[in-house]
Amino acid sequence: MSATKKAMLLLALIVLASLPFVWPNPYYIHLMVVIGIYAILLLGLDIVVGYTGEVSLGHAALFGVGSYTAGVLVLKLGAPFLVALPMSIAVTALFGMVLALPALRVTGPYLAMVTLAFGTIVQIFINEMDFLTNGPLGISLRKPDFFGYRLTATDYYFVVMTIMVITLVVVNRILKSHLGRAFEALRDSPVASDCMAVSVYRYKVYAFVISAALAGLAGALFTYSEEYISPNTYSFELTIQFLLAVIIGGRKTRSGALIGAVIVVMLPNLLSDVGLFRIIAVSVAAVALAYAAYALATDRRAARQAVIPAALTLAMAVFAYRIDDMTDYRLTIFGLMILFVVYYLPDGIMGFLRSIVLQLRPQWLSRPDTTAAQGDSQHVWAPPEHAVAVSGNLLEARNVLMQFGGLKALDRVELKVAKNSVHGLIGPNGSGKSTMMNVLTGIYKPTAGEIEFNGALISGQTPAAIAGSGIARTFQNVQLFVEMTAIENVLVGLHHTFRSNILQVMLNTPKYRREEREARVRAASILAFVGLAELANEEARNLPYGKQRLLEIGRAMGLNPSLLLLDEPAAGLTAPDIKELIEIIDKIKNHGITVILIEHHMDVVMGISDTVTVLDFGQKIAEGRPAEVQSDPKVIEAYLGGAAEATC
Amino acid sequence: MEILLQLTVSGIALGMIYAVIAFGYQLTFATSGTLNFGQGEALMLGALTGLTLVGHMGYWVMIPLVMLFGAAQGIVVERLGVAPAMKTKSEFGWIMATIALGIIFKNTAENIWGKDDLKFPSPLSEEPLKFLGVRVLPMEILVVIGAIVMMLAVELFNRRSIYGKAVVATSNDRDAAGLMGINTGMVITFSYALSSLTAAFAGVLVAPLTLTGATMGTVLGLKAFAVAIIGGLNSGMGVIVGGLILGIAETTTGFYISTGYKDVPGLVLLLLVLAIKPAGLFGKAAIKKV
Repeated sequence: MSATKKAMLLLALIVLASLPFVWPNPYYIHLMVVIGIYAILLLGLDIVVGYTGEVSLGHAALFGVGSYTAGVLVLKLGAPFLVALPMSIAVTALFGMVLALPALRVTGPYLAMVTLAFGTIVQIFINEMDFLTNGPLGISLRKPDFFGYRLTATDYYFVVMTIMVITLVVVNRILKSHLGRAFEALRDSPVASDCMAVSVYRYKVYAFVISAALAGLAGALFTYSEEYISPNTYSFELTIQFLLAVIIGGRKTRSGALIGAVIVVMLPNLLSDVGLFRIIAVSVAAVALAYAAYALATDRRAARQAVIPAALTLAMAVFAYRIDDMTDYRLTIFGLMILFVVYYLPDGIMGFLRSIVLQLRPQWLSRPDTTAAQGDSQHVWAPPEHAVAVSGNLLEARNVLMQFGGLKALDRVELKVAKNSVHGLIGPNGSGKSTMMNVLTGIYKPTAGEIEFNGALISGQTPAAIAGSGIARTFQNVQLFVEMTAIENVLVGLHHTFRSNILQVMLNTPKYRREEREARVRAASILAFVGLAELANEEARNLPYGKQRLLEIGRAMGLNPSLLLLDEPAAGLTAPDIKELIEIIDKIKNHGITVILIEHHMDVVMGISDTVTVLDFGQKIAEGRPAEVQSDPKVIEAYLGGAAEATC
Repeated sequence: MEILLQLTVSGIALGMIYAVIAFGYQLTFATSGTLNFGQGEALMLGALTGLTLVGHMGYWVMIPLVMLFGAAQGIVVERLGVAPAMKTKSEFGWIMATIALGIIFKNTAENIWGKDDLKFPSPLSEEPLKFLGVRVLPMEILVVIGAIVMMLAVELFNRRSIYGKAVVATSNDRDAAGLMGINTGMVITFSYALSSLTAAFAGVLVAPLTLTGATMGTVLGLKAFAVAIIGGLNSGMGVIVGGLILGIAETTTGFYISTGYKDVPGLVLLLLVLAIKPAGLFGKAAIKKV
């Protein structure tokens, strides 16, 4: 962390601590407490929405579960604060798990649909189970007391702010750790995450459960802050406010969650005062118009994009003067704000500010390095976790049949890959090479047949499990984690080297710090090996195509595989790049990693393969040493299509 | 036994309404992979527009007008909410945008028609008919027939007409359909028009049985979500069976346990189906290509 950032954080802490003394108005202190509570929830919601890219419409309900757990414990059992708080977290996390386990099994908008239904059901249960919750009457209670001393509103302010700051630090640690990288990776490319032994399903569930736990914590704090809870608070409208807060503040930033909390807590106050709303609407419209005019003057294409938002804000300003009472139009204004933010401020206020800063910053002020780790040639290689136990064939595919409807993409294929060899897999387009890759890595489950790897049967296992047992791969159409930097991509490959659990990450234990440091040295070394040392902190999407392919190889090496599957690594590469690639593959082989290579560049395949298998229409038509295969008439026929009648 | 039969019959009418709304979800999900989270609001707007129109003309004349209105509303939703998100491939974008449009519609309806529930005049006799000791409202029979006719009409359109074939082609492979000269953007807009049209139609069908008001759509839209997932998001048969299961589960829960809990079996079923057969009871699992 840089010195200026540290100073600013310290300043923020001092302001937070001195606020109740400078500004002792109880109304504002209460408002600050609610902001702190919302911030805790939003920090959690951002993990789901910002990082994993799933939409939760049930966070108001989870917040309610937390609130009512604390409320009921106090009402029925007289539980103290220090018992009620952890119980709320645990119970809400459990609810989160029950929702996430089924809903996240499938990709698509299922989580949104399930959580939306959950929101309704929670309200029904709170209303109906009046023997526990007092139903619509609600629960009243008082601020927590410690050893006979009851906290005042100001004391409680300090409690909430302390918990908020701790949450901020802890969430920040989680998101900067290997767990956070997993959350980010699975959003960018789910299939690549699975093939890096980072199970998409598992980490999505983790993210949701962490998020639910924080919602529970926030809910319990809310119960004590309001001293009265009733079912109507935890409505769909509150969920909408939470989501609006996350996106308006800016996803994937901690500061965005804080700004979002301030905005949504202040919003109802702003909206209740029509005069103030008019002033705000007019000034927002003025800013938008000024920006549109500026865009018109400099860049015509940007101007066209700026016209619609400018018109929208103008309409809002006119609307503000047409109405006298805001309360009836509150939801419409929420709706319009969501539409505006989703389409014209997708990265929120923080994202917008950052883009301005990046535009205005002079060229000589380069981006500060996010990593200081230096790689060296000693740390490129590490032995696989599961040592190669077999002596003959590392991989044996027996009788593999892969059927899509009536099409047999692979028709009873046998494949034996000898240990320590480079095994070429060639064939015309549509011959089943990539299907073979997908079957070997578990993305497709074979219709029939079995695959044995390193002495164990792997067919039928999940991609993440197969990757964990030591098979790494690259993809024909590059599947990098585009929003992450090159070194972070490799670090996701190194995910399996982390033994620390979430608690150790939260506490930042020496063990976790050592693992992170070692992984960074490893990653930097691997990047240097594939020739990307200078580009370590560049986002993957900004790399040129050839470098992206090399980065994929580097990421796969992070997995410490005993078998590496390369799917057309030379496609789209320039001649010097291909030379570099061949050297890399040679070195990989020399370090005892077996390679399966799919490639259309015949000189590459024939030059480095020990054995070549040829597929055509899903069937194996030839196998042998490169020279034998090249002279095989069946292979020549498949590639050149000659002598069709001769074989009939 | 008679009670159980009675509950089943009432459940069927309710279930068919869920099925029609869920069918609307399927229409847009097939072409674009998106859903209108404001589908319930489309139904509510249809019912309330119908209520305003029905005073000036008969119930039967009003229906086609309401359907036209529904189609127009669907086009607005697609153009404003879904099309921009499709361009940026943002799932978050379309979910939030359709929710936002939904709450705007609801709020607008509150400001036009008020917050109280209104009575919708029934076009048929409100005297129940008796079969084997079971009381059936003529309107309930109309709901079942109307729902089936609506779904059959859309299926027939998809199978027989050239425009329907464009819809089916887009559903199967949007990119390939686009390369074959089909304006897939237009097909998606059309599917939204059709989806909101069926919702508006369902609105005027169900309105005489229930009360009409700005809040009527939310819960119906939600139940239809459950039905669409239980039956499978890509199975026409699935939504009918799913609708019937949910409708009957609700009437029986309402009778035997408590009307307060009648919305609960929907979610429980939803979670169970997702846990056991995520593609739905009748759905086919999609194969993802790498």
